[in-house]
Amino acid sequence: MASLGRRRFLSTAVLSGAVVGATAFGSVAPEQAMASPGPELDPSLPDPNFAEGRISAITGSMLVVTGSDRTLHRIHVTDGTSLWKLRPTTFDAIKVGDGLYARGLKLEDGTLAADSVWVNIVNLTAHIAAMEKDVLHLDHHGDRVVGHVVAGTTAAVYNDTPAVSDLSLLQVGKHVQVIGAWRPDTNEVDIATVFAAA
Amino acid sequence: MVVVVVIVLAWAGCVKLFGPARRTALDRFVGRFAYRLVGVVELVIALALVVPPFFVAEGVAATVLSLGFVAYLAYARRVRPESDCGCMGGKGGPIGWRSFARAWLLVLSSALAALPASPLAMLGVLLVFVALSAELDRYWLLPLRRLRVRLSHPLAGLPSGVPLAAGVEQVERSGAYRAVAAFLRSDVRETWTEGDWRFLSYSARFQDRSATVVFAAPTDRFAPEDVQAALVDEATEETLWRFTPVPLAA
Repeated sequence: MASLGRRRFLSTAVLSGAVVGATAFGSVAPEQAMASPGPELDPSLPDPNFAEGRISAITGSMLVVTGSDRTLHRIHVTDGTSLWKLRPTTFDAIKVGDGLYARGLKLEDGTLAADSVWVNIVNLTAHIAAMEKDVLHLDHHGDRVVGHVVAGTTAAVYNDTPAVSDLSLLQVGKHVQVIGAWRPDTNEVDIATVFAAA
Repeated sequence: MVVVVVIVLAWAGCVKLFGPARRTALDRFVGRFAYRLVGVVELVIALALVVPPFFVAEGVAATVLSLGFVAYLAYARRVRPESDCGCMGGKGGPIGWRSFARAWLLVLSSALAALPASPLAMLGVLLVFVALSAELDRYWLLPLRRLRVRLSHPLAGLPSGVPLAAGVEQVERSGAYRAVAAFLRSDVRETWTEGDWRFLSYSARFQDRSATVVFAAPTDRFAPEDVQAALVDEATEETLWRFTPVPLAA
């Protein structure tokens, strides 16, 4: 299904579509979800359904990832995988050298079928050292990080109120938390959301 | 120029001796006692310089001490680049070009200590010391930057709009999300807007069947209670379930 057609179908489904398969599908009550037990995990072992590292190769829809502990992960990306790189994105935005966190299901052949992949995501607590047009200079525990504001994407959350695109309440010297996408091998990030007091 | 050296050494000595002992790269082989000791040496040399008469040996001692600082900075940057230099107490941040420039300026001032200098020249050199001291940035640089931002905020005037994060938060606080959260497998897979609605689709799994959950959140207001959702099978284009918000009974 073409992307545009699919979007139209999904939009219609949520706002006005007729429910055809409700009885076949069964109940979606929360009790039903809890009734199917998840796999037992050994607390002493690493979570098998999680992977992190830097992408060393991309073959077809498979990401070959070297973990920070040198573990080699092979990660399948499917149509159903959510990909994040500053914003929800598509497979072609992923490049060799990017870092990632992935969550999914470990298959029998050792590969991970990814449900969600977050590329280059960083979570920084810092304070604003300086500001200029489209740039926040962040002091991250003594290290300087350059935060790029991406018009139309960067959002600000002030005092836990709903996110807005207005960044004009940010102040130099104030503490912030930044969720963003790292630009690999630099001290620069593109900012997705900045949390601040105002 | 001797006045400059006295002021800088007295300032550095006092913060080392009376301020909190800082963790520096020297901890590794001499411990924190050395930090206080350096403060004492600085104060003794400053005192010797300030009490007349002036001996050349005093200037030489100050020069040797400041050369020692340069050597220490080079060592610290190699061994523990992230450490604070601890030179002037306070939080100076990692050792960078400013630390080295300040140390070399002290070497130069000490070597020229015997030379007479006009008060204006000495004030100038002292101001350069202040400008090179990251520990003092918060007293002059930060207020300047605050003022500049207050006069004209560099991030004002960005295109306005309702960001994705607001849509995600509405969805996560909604009754629709509570009903289907247990079946969601992915993060936001795709998002788009149409009219007053932002749509967000997620992958879901239920009874060994792949499905898609699509949420619609209003963009003209923050109203999690108005979020709608549908669970669809994209292969068969069937809507399997729909969540329509029910107004609270009066």
